[in-house]
This record gives sequence, C-alpha cells and structure tokens, in this order.
Amino acid sequence: MAYINTGRIVQEKLKTTDAMGVRYRIGRTYEKMLKNQLYKILLFISGLPINLVVAAVFFIQKRSDPFLKWREETKFRLRKEGVENQLTADIRYELTTKYIFFNKEVNESKLHAETKKLAARVFQEEVTKKVDDAMRAAGISKVTYGSTFSKLINHPLFFAVSMIPGALMYLFIYIYSKPYLKYVFDRLVMMVFVIFGVTFLVFTILYLSPLDPAANILGQTATVEQLRHFNQVYGLDQPYLVQLWNSFKGLVTFDLGKSFAGNEMVSTEIIRKLPITLQLTVISLIIAILMAIPSGLISATRQYSFFDYGFMVLVLLGLSIPDFWQGLVAILYFSIKVQWLPATFNPDNWLSVINPAIVLGTGLAASVARMTRSSTLEVIHQDYIVTAKAKGLSERKVILKHALGNALIPIVTVIGLQFGGMLGGAAVTEKVFNINGIGSYIVDKQFIPDIPGILAGVIYVAVTISIVNLIVDLLYAFLDPRIRSKISDY
Amino acid sequence: MRTHYEKRATKRKLKAFQEYKLSNFAASASIVLAILFGLSGYDLFERTVSIPFLVLAGIYLLFGMLQLLVSAKIRSDIIQRNTIQATTRIFGFSLIIALLTGNIFVAIAALDIIKKEKSIEYMLSIYMALTNICIILISALNLFKPYVADLFLLGMGILLAVSVLHIAAMILIGLFVKNGDVSRHLLPLAYLLILTAVTGNVFSLLLGLTLLHKIRHGNKEVLVTWVDIVRRLFRNAMAALGLLFITVLLSLSICSYFTFEYSLAVENNYSTLLLSPSLEYPFGTDDFGRCVFSRIIFGGRISLLVGILTTLIPVIIGGLLGTVSGFYGKYVDNFIMRALDILYAVPGMLLAIAIVAAFGANTTNLIIALSIGYIPTYARTMRATVLSVSNFEFIEAARACGAKDHAIIFKHIIPNSLAPIIVKATLTIGIAVISTSSLSYLGLGVEPHIPEWGNILKIGSAYLESKSYLAVYPGIAIIVMVLSFNFFGDGLRDALDPKLK
Repeated sequence: MAYINTGRIVQEKLKTTDAMGVRYRIGRTYEKMLKNQLYKILLFISGLPINLVVAAVFFIQKRSDPFLKWREETKFRLRKEGVENQLTADIRYELTTKYIFFNKEVNESKLHAETKKLAARVFQEEVTKKVDDAMRAAGISKVTYGSTFSKLINHPLFFAVSMIPGALMYLFIYIYSKPYLKYVFDRLVMMVFVIFGVTFLVFTILYLSPLDPAANILGQTATVEQLRHFNQVYGLDQPYLVQLWNSFKGLVTFDLGKSFAGNEMVSTEIIRKLPITLQLTVISLIIAILMAIPSGLISATRQYSFFDYGFMVLVLLGLSIPDFWQGLVAILYFSIKVQWLPATFNPDNWLSVINPAIVLGTGLAASVARMTRSSTLEVIHQDYIVTAKAKGLSERKVILKHALGNALIPIVTVIGLQFGGMLGGAAVTEKVFNINGIGSYIVDKQFIPDIPGILAGVIYVAVTISIVNLIVDLLYAFLDPRIRSKISDY
Repeated sequence: MRTHYEKRATKRKLKAFQEYKLSNFAASASIVLAILFGLSGYDLFERTVSIPFLVLAGIYLLFGMLQLLVSAKIRSDIIQRNTIQATTRIFGFSLIIALLTGNIFVAIAALDIIKKEKSIEYMLSIYMALTNICIILISALNLFKPYVADLFLLGMGILLAVSVLHIAAMILIGLFVKNGDVSRHLLPLAYLLILTAVTGNVFSLLLGLTLLHKIRHGNKEVLVTWVDIVRRLFRNAMAALGLLFITVLLSLSICSYFTFEYSLAVENNYSTLLLSPSLEYPFGTDDFGRCVFSRIIFGGRISLLVGILTTLIPVIIGGLLGTVSGFYGKYVDNFIMRALDILYAVPGMLLAIAIVAAFGANTTNLIIALSIGYIPTYARTMRATVLSVSNFEFIEAARACGAKDHAIIFKHIIPNSLAPIIVKATLTIGIAVISTSSLSYLGLGVEPHIPEWGNILKIGSAYLESKSYLAVYPGIAIIVMVLSFNFFGDGLRDALDPKLK
C-alpha cells in the first residue's frame, strides 16, 4: 500500500518537474548557445520579439545587480589591505628581471607604463575571482542576459505567451539540445553555405571574363545595336550585384535562364543530362568497389607476396593512366579490333556502358584498393585481432568479421572524396565516348562562353557532390561508434 | 614445422642482400617487357608480324633469362656461404652490355652486383652515369634524320665529355670512397660534378653535394638529414628508378635545345605525311608530316614545366594559408578554411574548365586554372601538420624567449611541417601532368600548335583505326612520367617517415 502511494507521488512529482524540466532545459541550452557567436545571432533573429522583451528586463534588472555592489566593496577592501600595491611591486620586479635577462636596457617611463597596465589587469582579475567565489558561496547568481532569459522562461505564463512568436527560436534550441540533430543541422547549414559560395565563385569568374559572348554568337558583322539588344535580353548590361542576385534567385528557384546559344532552358538541359552522368558514375563506382575491396583485402593478408607486389604495381599503373588515353586504347582494342563493345555510348545498349564505366572507375578503384590494403594492414596488427587469432578463430572469420568493419571507415572517406573527382573527370570520359552527359555539356558550352550553361552545370555538379559528401559524413557518423560518441560530447 | 621455420630463416637471409632483390626485380621486369614487345610484334587479331619488335622481345627475353641465372647463383651463394662469391660478381661485367639495348633494369642490377661495398656515393654515380648514357642514346637517334640541329655536334661532344667524366667519377669513387669515408683529393671532382648538373642531371648534383659535405666535415659522423634521406631513398629500387626517369626527362628537356631540331617537330612537311615508325621517324609522323618522336621530346618540356608549376604555386599559396590558419586558429582559421571549403566543393577539372572558359585557352591560364583547384588540398595538409607541430615544447620555448610570430612561423613551424606537403606534392605532380594533357586533349589547355603530349594525342586519336601508334606512344610517355612521379613519391614518403612503412 505504502509502496503504491509513494509510487504515485513520485509519478506526480515527475509530471510537474517534467514541465518545469523542459523550461529549465530550454534556459540552459539557450545560455550554452549564447557562447557561440553564430548561434547568438541566429537566436536573436529567429526570436526577435522575445529577445526584445528579455533585453528590456535584463537592462532594468542589471541596474540592481548585486554583483556591482559586491565588486565595489571587494575592490575597496583589497585596496585597503594593500594588495594592489603589493601586486604592482611584484610585477615591476618581474619585468625588471625579464629585461635584464634579455640584455635590454630598462627604460623608466616605459617600465612604469607597462607595470601599471599589467597590474591593473591582474588586479581586476583578482577582484572578479574573489567576487565570483563570494557570490557562489552566498548562492546569488550574477545577472546576465542568459540568466534573465532562464528566469523568465521559468514563468509558465511567459513560456506560454512566447510559444507563438518564438516558435522558430524554440526549434533551434530543440535542435541544439539533440546532438545528432545538431550535427545534421550543422552539416546542412554548411552545405547551403558552400553551394551559395560556389555560385558566387563561379559567377564572379565568368563575370570577370574578358571574352564577349555577344560578339561570339552574333559574329563579327553584328551591329552595335544588335550587341546591345543581346546584352539587354540576357541581362548582361546590369550591374554585378544585380546579376549575382539573379543567379542566387535562379539557384533557389531552379530557373537559371536560357542558354545563349540555341536559347534553350538551362534547367531542362541539366535535368536531362545530369542523370546520364550520375548513372555512369554510379555504375563505375559499383564496379570499382567490387574489384578494389576484395583485391585490397587479399593483398593485405598476403603482404610481400608475389600477388601483393604485382597488385601494387597494377594499382600504381591504374593511378597513372590518363582517362582519355585508356578510353582510346579500350576503343581501339574492344571496339575496333575485336568489336565486342560499341565505341560510342547509347542509352539503349547496356554493353556500351561497360567501357566508359571501367575507364572512369580505374582511378577510383586504384585509390580504394590502395586504401583498403593500407587500412587493413593497420587494423590486422592491432591487439584485438591478435586476441581473436589466439582464441583460434579462422583467418577468414578474423578478417571478414573483425578487421573489415574497422578497416572500412577510411575507405568510405576515400570513396566520398573521390566521387567528386569522378564527376569532374567524367567530362573527359564523356567526350571520348561521346556521351551526352553534364561534363560534355559544360565543355561544349565553354567555347562561347555560354555563361548560364557553364554556371548551372558547375553549380549542380557541386550540389551533387555536396549531397554525396553529406550522406557519407552522416553514414559514417552513424556507423562508427567512436564518431558517434564524439558527436554526443559536443 | 621445422621446414616452415627453415623457409623463414632462408627468406630472412635472402632479404638482407639487396643484390638478390634487385636481380630478381630486373629479371622479372625484363621478362614482362619482353612479353609486351612480343605482343606488339605479333598482332593476335590481325595476325601480322613486326620483325623489329620480335627481335627486341628476343633480346629482352635473353637478358631476362641471364639475369634469372644470376639470381639463382646469388641465391645458392647466400644459402651456402652467406656471402656473394667474387666469381658471381664478375658476371655483372658481362651484363652491363644490356644497357646498349636500353634495358636499364638489368644494367642497374649488373652495376649493383659488381661492387661488394656499396656506398651511397657509388649508387649515385651509377645513376648519374646511366642518365647521361640514356640521353646520348636517345639523342643519337637523330643521326638517322635527314638533317640535324646546328648545335648537334657541339651538344653531343659536350654530352660525351660529361659521360667520360661521369664514368671516371664512378671508378674513382669506387676506389677512393671506403667505409663511407671520402678522400680529400676528390674535392675538385665534387665541384666538376656539380658543374655538370647544368645538363639537368639531378644525380650529379646530389653526388657533388654529398662529396662536398663529407669533405667539409672531415668525414665525421655528423647527423645530416638529407644525406640520410637520400640513402634511404636509394634502398628502394623502384623509387630510384622513378627518379632516374624523371631526371632523364628533365635532362632531355634541357639537352634537346642542342641535340634536337625544333623545326622537325613543328613545321609542316607534306612529303612525310603519316609515315609508319622507322629508324628515321621512330614513332612515325603525324598528319602534318611532323616527327612524333621529336614532338614527344619537346612536349615533355611543356608537360614537366606545367606539372611542376601547377604543383609549386598551390604548394606555396596553400601552404602559407594552411600555416596561418593552423597557427592562429579561431576566427582566422574559420574564415580561411570555410573559404577553401567552397573551392574544395568544385572538382578541380570543372573549375579549370570554368576558368579557361572565362579567360581563354592558353598555357598561362591553364597553369593558373589548375593551380587554384589544388590550393585547398595543400592548405588542409599543411594546417593539420601545423596544428600538431604548434603544440610541441620547442614552439612554447621559442615563444617564452620572446620570439615574434613571424619568426616562429618561418624558423620553427614551417621547416618542421614540410615533410608531408613535399610528399603530397611529389605524388600530385603526376595528377597535374594528367590534368594538363586531359585539358589539352579537350582543346582547353596548351595552344594546339605547341607540341604537348595532350595535343599530340588529340591528333593521334583521329587516326585511331589506321595509325593507332600515333595515339599509343604519347600515352605511354604520359604513363611512364606519371608512374615515375608516383614511385618516387612513394619512396620519398617512406624515406622521410620510416615509421609509416
């Protein structure tokens, strides 16, 4: 009976503390977030009305802050005890010995000024420390902006009223309080920043271009009137900032205008061409990984064997072959001499994708295989693997079950990093095999230069890479317990 | 169990002899090359036979087999007597002839086996002499041409004189360098060798400096880092070979001013359109009648220059940014690294295409375009190293002594964090060379009339069906160069940081 009673009481208590706990936690998180400059601004803007109220209360309360009174008292007391004079004398002595040690001549007025400055700072620190200690002992907290907010939020009424105008701010606070969410959110913000940065960078480069697309497209015979009309239609006569703003707008609304040559919508072109490149890259990624990881593992388990040496030479060869030459030789042998595979790409014929996919994936396969070998080697010499072997596990089980998992982490990183290079390198492979992807689109557009086309092409490739990097980052944050624990710590 | 133990003991014994490793390597390399030549000599698909290739394959196979015999002899010597007998070493002299067929693998193994006590000076002198002989052999191919450069005789004369000097130096060093001690009488030789480095011979420069250094310090056991690094580098045959190829290329791009005729590589000659490979035109001629062999030689100059510049510029800029960012931290770090993140998000190739699109395709723009793309990588590498170096006690000590920031950065931090970025740079030169030729192939790089490997390949690709050698040889030149940089970079990494191995 008594047991049930206490149980109910505890439950009820929990309920009340739950609501209070939420508010308390919000206050705590808010104070923590204020320490970061960026979050400070974010909080202030997202919850502007609430922050104005809090600021008003803060300035009223600050005047009656006990801290100020205590500080004056402590200052007065320490001065009376002669602490300040003692400090000045000590610092003067220290400075003099320092100058003598470095064989510098002692300048009286300079020494005096320096001593005064240092002593004032040290005295201030001393006072603050004393006051803080005293206040902590007395259980009184200093009035800060954060503590004002915490106090206010603990009023249920204030909390309820602030719910609507501060919804956005509370959302940020919620995200910040959950480590995983915060990590994801941080990465997303970073990604958006990078995407806008890339747009700014590429646009600025193209804006600075001394080449004149109007003259290139309309030809030498174009009149001044025609050129002006062209520039007006495509907005090239507008100032830099307006054009940049239009590019940003185009990036968000996915409408980057029409290309100079052919007058096609750039977005529809991108939608048509990006999937072709992506498909090619993903196929070659899969082929590369399927070849590289097993061979890297075998090479690591038989270190310094004939296979290992041959394999390492092969890997270095793979890293050294230019894509376009490999493509040409592949066409020469497989398409011209034996005619097994078609020389140019055709979406309807799956055989035609094999050649470009292998050519594009060679570099990636080589670096992944190399990474697999070295990270596996590192892992299999660790103590826990020795333990596993000593317990009598078979070689196969040790490698596949215990070593591979840990060895995979750097491999995933390398794959993520190389994916970007692959998308960039796709331009060359696409040109060799005559594939209508985004890479060859950018290359075709550059001769004019067709600014909207190049801009859109480069930006959306960068966006794709950013998304892939985000996925890779999240993936191994959730796969690797070490990174997981690091995330929850910060 | 016992046999397993014995096997391992033998293995360990054999491993202690560098000669055995090198000999095996030379044998397998020659046999692989012989197979490759054989495949080019007999076309499986069209069933045609090319005599010169088959002869070459036969010669390489012969030397490979001989080398294999030497390997077996060394093996039995080591297992039975634990040393290599003098009679085995004499074999080396007969195998030096392999050099005349261009088989440097066997030649190096032969020179290696001749001498018992191999000092680093002797090794350097072998590679130095080999470089020069390779240059002479390659230049001598010009003798079959209808006409040669005006300065050909002068150039060849100088090269021959240098070669005589190098061989003399090799013998002198073999005689006078004992147990790592260098005789004082070699001082003039050291200066002469440094002088011959104007031909682009890196080995003679290294050798001269090593000799000079040892003589200056009176052969005392002074801890010299760079001599030690060179010694460790030459223990790795592949790295040394990589450096050999790079040096030959560098030397060739300097010597070709004298020994190669530039007009054969750039001027149209309608009487020699699209000729097949012959002694006169070793790699054939292209659709304008230009000698592809000469074009590749002159193209190496551009590729090497662009490759080195597009690595050097971002190393300096990125290295400085990374240092500042790692040293000052906080807002500076955040600002620099976020700005570089933007640059990092665009693949280097696409950024280069965008820059070339904006400013036009020429060599200067190409170098700038490629350089910018590599800045973030170097900055990140440098920043990571600087972050760890700044935490060492000697930095704290320097600061306690009142050193200014710039003094700490340039005197203490940068010299101590150079190793990773140097290794990275060596490994990236290869990628820069590939990027250069890729962009030229797309028509976005070096101007089309300049002989550059990508440009040569672009012309060759148009004749892929009928004259495939026009595309194959420049490609092989690129691969060999990139491969050399990769091998050298790998070796350098192991030499700079023995812990990594």
